[in-house]
Amino acid sequence: MSEESERSWAKLDRKATAIAEFTLRQYRTRLSTWVVLSVSVGAMMLLNLFYLDFMTTELRMNDNDGDSYDYDGDGYPTGQEILLGTDPFNELSYPSGVTPDPPSKYINEDDFDWDNITKDSFQSIGYDDDGDCVRDGQLVTDSQKDNNGNLIPCDIAVYYSNFSQVYIISTDGNVDEDPNEDKFGKEAIHRAYILSVGKMGIVYLLGIFLPLFLASGLIRNEMNEGTMHFMLAKPISRGEVLLYRMLGYLGIVWPFIIALCALMALITGFLGPGEGLFRFSDLGVWVSICFAAMLVSMVYGMIFCVFGILWKQGMVLAIILAAWELGMAFVSVLAGGDTYIQWFSVIGWGLMIVDIGAALNWQDLPILIEMGNWHGGNPSENSGCYYQFNEAYDICDSEELPGTEPLEFFASTHGLGVGNWLAAIIASSVLLIQAFLAWVIGQAIFKSKEMEV
Amino acid sequence: MLHPESPVTGQTRMDSAWGSQTGDEDVHAKVTQASVDAGQIFEQEYKPWNGTLNPRWMRNWAILRHHLLGIVFKGHRPWGVVTRIVLLLIFLGSLSSAAMVLLSGVVGDSTLASMWGINRENMYGHVLGFFPRNIIFYPIIAAILVGGMISEDRSNGTSALYFSRPISRVDYTSMKFLSIAIILFFVIDGTLAVYYFAEVLVMGRGWSWILDTFPMFLLAAFSGLLLAITYTSIGLALSSLSKGRFFPGIGLLAVIMGTKTLAAIIEALFDKTILYVISPFDCIAHIAQSLMSIESTYQHPWTWSLASIVCINIGALYILTARVSTLEVTRE
Amino acid sequence: MMPDFTQTGRSEDAASTQNNNVPVVVFKNVSKQYGQISALTDISLAISGGVTGILGMNGAGKSTLFKIIMGKIRPSGGQIRLFGEDPWKNQSPYARTGFVPEHEKMHDWMTAIDFVTTFARLNGMTREEARLEAERVLTFVELADVMNKQIGRFSKGMRQRVKIAHALVNDPDLIVLDEPLQGCDPLARTSIMNVIRELGRLGRTVLVSSHILSEIERITEQIVILHKGRLLAIGNLHAIRDLLDQHPHKIAIRCEQPKRLAKDLIDIDEVTSVSIPAKDELVVETKHFGVVHNLLPSIIVKNNHHVWEIDNPDDNLQSILEYLTGGLP
Repeated sequence: MSEESERSWAKLDRKATAIAEFTLRQYRTRLSTWVVLSVSVGAMMLLNLFYLDFMTTELRMNDNDGDSYDYDGDGYPTGQEILLGTDPFNELSYPSGVTPDPPSKYINEDDFDWDNITKDSFQSIGYDDDGDCVRDGQLVTDSQKDNNGNLIPCDIAVYYSNFSQVYIISTDGNVDEDPNEDKFGKEAIHRAYILSVGKMGIVYLLGIFLPLFLASGLIRNEMNEGTMHFMLAKPISRGEVLLYRMLGYLGIVWPFIIALCALMALITGFLGPGEGLFRFSDLGVWVSICFAAMLVSMVYGMIFCVFGILWKQGMVLAIILAAWELGMAFVSVLAGGDTYIQWFSVIGWGLMIVDIGAALNWQDLPILIEMGNWHGGNPSENSGCYYQFNEAYDICDSEELPGTEPLEFFASTHGLGVGNWLAAIIASSVLLIQAFLAWVIGQAIFKSKEMEV
Repeated sequence: MLHPESPVTGQTRMDSAWGSQTGDEDVHAKVTQASVDAGQIFEQEYKPWNGTLNPRWMRNWAILRHHLLGIVFKGHRPWGVVTRIVLLLIFLGSLSSAAMVLLSGVVGDSTLASMWGINRENMYGHVLGFFPRNIIFYPIIAAILVGGMISEDRSNGTSALYFSRPISRVDYTSMKFLSIAIILFFVIDGTLAVYYFAEVLVMGRGWSWILDTFPMFLLAAFSGLLLAITYTSIGLALSSLSKGRFFPGIGLLAVIMGTKTLAAIIEALFDKTILYVISPFDCIAHIAQSLMSIESTYQHPWTWSLASIVCINIGALYILTARVSTLEVTRE
Repeated sequence: MMPDFTQTGRSEDAASTQNNNVPVVVFKNVSKQYGQISALTDISLAISGGVTGILGMNGAGKSTLFKIIMGKIRPSGGQIRLFGEDPWKNQSPYARTGFVPEHEKMHDWMTAIDFVTTFARLNGMTREEARLEAERVLTFVELADVMNKQIGRFSKGMRQRVKIAHALVNDPDLIVLDEPLQGCDPLARTSIMNVIRELGRLGRTVLVSSHILSEIERITEQIVILHKGRLLAIGNLHAIRDLLDQHPHKIAIRCEQPKRLAKDLIDIDEVTSVSIPAKDELVVETKHFGVVHNLLPSIIVKNNHHVWEIDNPDDNLQSILEYLTGGLP
């Protein structure tokens, strides 16, 4: 008995590889395969050009706290006078015997010092680099030194709520109030780039259009041309034929996705901001993008193939589904993962996996966004409220740090209400179940199809 | 008759094909009875055909009519049932703006009227609004229409029927182009016209109002025409490139939605709108914005978008005519 | 619903063939309706062993019959059994079947050996086994020298032979050929007919449908005639001819003095009528073909007739078909 079943399995494997190999060779001979694959790579490289351009230009540096300006005209910038204890508004009071610092030294001098943000309910971070909080003087009163009331002077209190997964920042005056726009912007845009290209470019565009082009005709074309019988009039069930054809399709799409994600990971890893030569911290996100794209392309491939089996005009159904899924993709991005409607799509679950990957890899992602929104708390140079830099919370129009808006736009939470790993398992399982269901329905339809050609 | 239940077994005698004697007595080759004694030469008189051919426009009109009437009537080009249903649904969907005007007139609600009434922005939105028209309605109907336009003829062999008649390939292509463009034009601009005239009727607009708003209407209609023509060019170019019936429609969707998505990503990230020049929809939207004096959402000059859309159309039409004129009219 | 894990291998087929007395193809009251049109009505037959020709006019239901056998379509009524299994539900009979379809489309980009090897593997063979078998069958159909060329470059006859090779690769017990001679030139036809004849001689069951009746006659006498979806005749073609009482056999004799011969022949009881269509031709009609043929030589010799030719113009498939179906519909 075991010998016979061993033989059956061996035969199964032979039939599977025969059809899968045949499918792969068939793809190779078709021009459309090469066109689609090369256009995809070309589009990604086009995006990378913009990324490269961004990463090699310096962002505009703002002096958020205005201390590079010399108010009293005594030749010393306000920041230097504060540091050395003289009155920045009195031209007669200036540090003598010291060379005046160039104003540029006081731009972006008090950058964020927020390392190791954890998920503790309360943390104290921040350091007053330019000393305009710590030092006594007119600028900062004692109560303002502990504005956030946590009994630690000149710090920033970060509260985290596990329930709503939200960070709240409460700052003391003049702490970390002149952040480095270039550093923050590059980091934020880099992460936003990975998220946007990964979610919208790879998981959505490739995840829908690769199957549309490559998988819809897998069975339908053979049925129309009459060459299906070479596969069917054999001791092999129709469900198997469908499955093995899909294996051949995956055999070309999955390696392509893996290679493309690897290439993109390399490019963004080398070009990305940071101290070292290569950013290893993003690799996890690329893995999740790759994984999501593979699952999504499998599900769509099966669905579109089944549409083709069901109907000669199956392409129409496929196009309508593609439009629905685009809508769901936009909903997922815009609504930030808070809606249930994306559970009724395929793409929603795929995007969720990328969000989970980002959450696991970039633990400080939500705080980064908050940092950008807070931007030091000072009004921007252009807002006309330049002089009211004493307020920790700005009362005028101000701009968030560059890159905050795109990052906030493209980052989402998975919205499932469970932990990250569990959410990943759930999302992957949903996609696998969707693919399996599509196969089950597809082979039932295929089995009942009478072939007249 | 024999009983069918008993199996028909039997040893048939297999003989070599090279003429053995046994078993061949039942088969006999007969010599033809009537023999021709002498050979004969048949004189041919080649006369030019002095008949009159219908004028070219009539032949072309026949092709156009065949394609257009096929949407509704039997006996013409058989568009699929699904195509027709989707076309109807999208047409009805595009009429939503007119329906809103009618509703506001019936209900008499002034806020509804001000939201949906005819004005510069609303007419622009009718033609070039992103959601739902230019993400769902117009791209889908364009993709479905161009789907099998040329590839179906090739695979069914009906292109041989066309080209064995006095129809040039340019005519064939032009009429196919026109048929799709006309249908798209109806869906986009026909519904725009209904919208406009619904407002005139329901709101009781006078001639001065019409004089004011008609130029805008014309500009919006022109943008819609540009949209119809561009989608048709790209779609037909794709249809001439591929033998399948899937590839053109999906390719058109990929071009329209894919370019827009990529450009949108770049805009969101880097605040640069330059990549929109590769998106046909955005090029037309930009042109329309500048024509209709609507605030531009793009940073680059509209002349760039104009140049781009002209290049896209020229490129697509070039591919289309080159492919069709070299089409080999065989069934494969 | 699950993949068919209990596929039987080839080694088991040989054993089961010897033990099994089940006829290869059995139709029991099979009907197929397409809406109002009845493609097949109440067909019952059983076929086993040797070459059987399936004949009929266009629209008789030959293709429908083949499609049902090969599991492309399902009968509306009745039962079909291939090696005792219902092919629509269970694909295992196809391990012992080879099918040569009518349509021409193949994968032109493949070489002949690739084509046969790839689809041979669907029978469960390993790559090496499949390659060996493919070479064997391609040699059998005389394509050994071109097996590495692309099918797209082959002539029609060669493509037919590739299809036949592909059908033979798993050494099947049942081979079904749907219009194998279609579009072939005379030389290709001859070689294909050779192949079919050889297969029948080897003891396989071969079903051939063709319009080229003269070729069918040369390889088999077992026929099945369909007309308008019904079974009209089945069996040995001469036996069927004999049964066509209302169409007496004709014997055409070309001789010097037909009138004199006619007088002699008319005395035979079995001769029903005699006619002289031309000045040197005599046509005798009889219901007892064999008897008259036995008597003819002695009468001719005894009465010293000069006879140039004796022929049976309507003891062939063409005439049978015409008589049975009443000519063009």
